[in-house]
Amino acid sequence: MRKFDEVQDEFEQELGRRMRRVDPPEGFAERLLERAAAQTPLRAKVLTMPRRTVFRAWVGGAIAAALVTGVFVGEQAHLRSRDRKAEAARQQFETAMRVTDRALDPTRASLQRVGLALGD
Amino acid sequence: MQIDPVKFRHLVEQHQSMVFSIALRVTGEFGVAEEVAQDAFLELHRSGERLESDDHIKFWLRRVTVHRATDALRSRSRRPEAAAEEWMDEQHTDIPGAGLDFGIVARLDELLRALPEAMRIAVVLRYQEEMLPDEIAAMLGQPVATVKSNVQRGLQLLRRKASATMKEYVRAEI
Repeated sequence: MRKFDEVQDEFEQELGRRMRRVDPPEGFAERLLERAAAQTPLRAKVLTMPRRTVFRAWVGGAIAAALVTGVFVGEQAHLRSRDRKAEAARQQFETAMRVTDRALDPTRASLQRVGLALGD
Repeated sequence: MQIDPVKFRHLVEQHQSMVFSIALRVTGEFGVAEEVAQDAFLELHRSGERLESDDHIKFWLRRVTVHRATDALRSRSRRPEAAAEEWMDEQHTDIPGAGLDFGIVARLDELLRALPEAMRIAVVLRYQEEMLPDEIAAMLGQPVATVKSNVQRGLQLLRRKASATMKEYVRAEI
């Protein structure tokens, strides 16, 4: 089989001469440019822009409202949790004070017997 | 992003013959070729392809045109290669020195249409577009050896068909 770097024979030379580019039918470019212009999505974008804007605004508002609600609910939950912890701490403190007070009763009585008084 | 309309018009005017000729010789039908050529340009227009150089544009347009042309052929179930294979079966020997008579030359496109698709594309790109095998291989995404084989086999088949047609032509003249 002949290699590509060898000299072309008469048939190939004739083939190369014969296979020239041909012009497209008349009006090809005009028809093509009309189709290209019709496919340009510029007009469609302009028409759909308001709907997209309204939709995007609605979605944006919904997201913002959800975020605000979430933050509010979270803050309330946090405050309730803090109050519950404070109440529990206060009750624990009072219980501890009562226990300590009772534990000090015998000591207080002994001191009173020798004439000393322990503060309440 | 689309190509600027003025630039697109310039590209169409500059490359329409190339694109249309590839489409015509691959599909073999004038109307289909125009449709394929327009689709190739419209794809370029839509894609907003970054046009780096003239070579890049030519490469892109040639590749897309070949693909669209083969798509068109397959969708229309046109299989001219069946006839070509019959030719291959009938004629097993090379005819040395089979030159082209001018009467036969006029029928070259008709003979080309009967080549199998891969050979036809390779021959069109090699002899119409004067592309080298490695350029065709890069464009079609095929090994260079495959492209060379397709060109050679296509050429061989065309030579045989042209010789046989010439003989018939001579007999008809007598």
